[in-house]
Amino acid sequence: MLEIRQLDAFYGDAQALWGVTMDVHDGETVAVLGTNGAGKSTLVNAVAGLHAKRSGRISVGGRDVAALPAHKVCEYGVAVVPEGRRVFPGMSVYDNLCLGAYRRTARAEYRKGLDRVHDIFPRLRQRTGQLAGSLSGGEQQMLAIGRALMAKPTLLLLDEPSLGLAPVMTDEVFEAIEAVNAQGVSVLLVEQDVDRALEAASRGYLLAEGRVAGAGTSAELRASDTVQRSVLGI
Amino acid sequence: MTTIQAALSGILLGGLYALMAAGVSVTWGVLRIINLAHFGMILLGAYLTFELATAWRVNPLVTLVVSVPAMFVLGGALQWAFDYLRVSELNSLLITFGLLIVVVQSVSNVWSADFQRMAAEVNPYATESVRVGRFVFPVPTLLAFAIALLVILGAHLVLRRTFIGRALRAYAEDRPIAAAFGIDHRRIGVLLAAVTGATAAVAGMLFSLANALTPATAFEWFGTVFAVVILGGIGHLVGTLAAGVLVGLLSSVVSVVLSPATAPFVLFSAIVLALILRPQGLFTVGATR
Repeated sequence: MLEIRQLDAFYGDAQALWGVTMDVHDGETVAVLGTNGAGKSTLVNAVAGLHAKRSGRISVGGRDVAALPAHKVCEYGVAVVPEGRRVFPGMSVYDNLCLGAYRRTARAEYRKGLDRVHDIFPRLRQRTGQLAGSLSGGEQQMLAIGRALMAKPTLLLLDEPSLGLAPVMTDEVFEAIEAVNAQGVSVLLVEQDVDRALEAASRGYLLAEGRVAGAGTSAELRASDTVQRSVLGI
Repeated sequence: MTTIQAALSGILLGGLYALMAAGVSVTWGVLRIINLAHFGMILLGAYLTFELATAWRVNPLVTLVVSVPAMFVLGGALQWAFDYLRVSELNSLLITFGLLIVVVQSVSNVWSADFQRMAAEVNPYATESVRVGRFVFPVPTLLAFAIALLVILGAHLVLRRTFIGRALRAYAEDRPIAAAFGIDHRRIGVLLAAVTGATAAVAGMLFSLANALTPATAFEWFGTVFAVVILGGIGHLVGTLAAGVLVGLLSSVVSVVLSPATAPFVLFSAIVLALILRPQGLFTVGATR
């Protein structure tokens, strides 16, 4: 599904990723672990096309997207749940969701998409006319995920979905991620909460200072000293 | 009696202000381009109507068949250039002011700087009026109000209810995320500016129905139209409509009650007050754009 080879990417003018290579296979959930500043968000943005400066190879479903702008990458079935949620605050919940279905292949079936999102997050149905900016943090995170699902993605990029959420909300969000993955969507999950990330994912990578510092199955990573040391700072 | 008549005429006049302001407001709010060339396009629209009606004896309303596509293309082409040259918000003010001067000069060269009015035989609406009780409404003003209302409310519905409208609003709020959901900024920017240009052509035609034209009029629109844009809230169409009506009402009533010379003083004092009390626009709710 997603193949990243020798990716260099920049955060502003500063290089933030160095020769990153990783894979997400069809239908898999893969976790990316690492501390603040390890380059996790840069990785998500580089794949989504939100950073203009990147080099190397990023292929989605066999097509190279490394040189494409964000709106073209979207057409290849990549949807992003960005760090800090970034819902459109002045638009209603309904409009945010419909916006998610803007890309051509999703637009025709946006009603089906709405039903699907409402099944996963019944709370969004109750909030449908409300402005997204007036929602709680957890509800905004649900909306950000719902919006991404509306695009009918084959690859979902999640950037720190648990950030700033109460534990109960985090549970709900992670259940949703697993439900989405169960429907066959491949997931790249960037997360600081190591335990939750490895629980949701089957494999993972460890990023440190912009380089891949470790890789393995969830069980291997959980047991690994490097992960514990690097992420928990012990 | 005269005051009520002035109030009603002012409200009707406000519709045209609102139509002129709507284009400026939306391009500013969504594209972050303060397009003073919009006034140039209104002027061109007005002169196109004048020329076609005078030289070809075309009904002024029918001249839109030519002027709307022309301004659609011009508006879109300008935005394409702004995008290509990566023009910033502040620079857009300078560049489009320069463009406006070029347009005004060119219009002077082609049509002269003298006042010109469509002859009565080609402008069937000029001398007609509708009488309601003791009030009289000239047909050009009524037409202007009705068409402005239709265009603005139609555009509002498109922004609220359609995929392209949502895309424009999302783009105004968060450009990178809008792009990540498939919105091509160049395409929607050019489309929006083209439609805005088309509304300039309509506003120009409506202005030419009731008024004599001179190139310098473009500069006279400035103050009033910007007042409407600011009062209505940048990017807000319904607010712009309400602000247009309010500004029309205020300047018309003050002209009659006090004097025409006092009208700008009262109007701009009201704007200063409004900016102090409600800088986000009079009719906007909360912090939404």
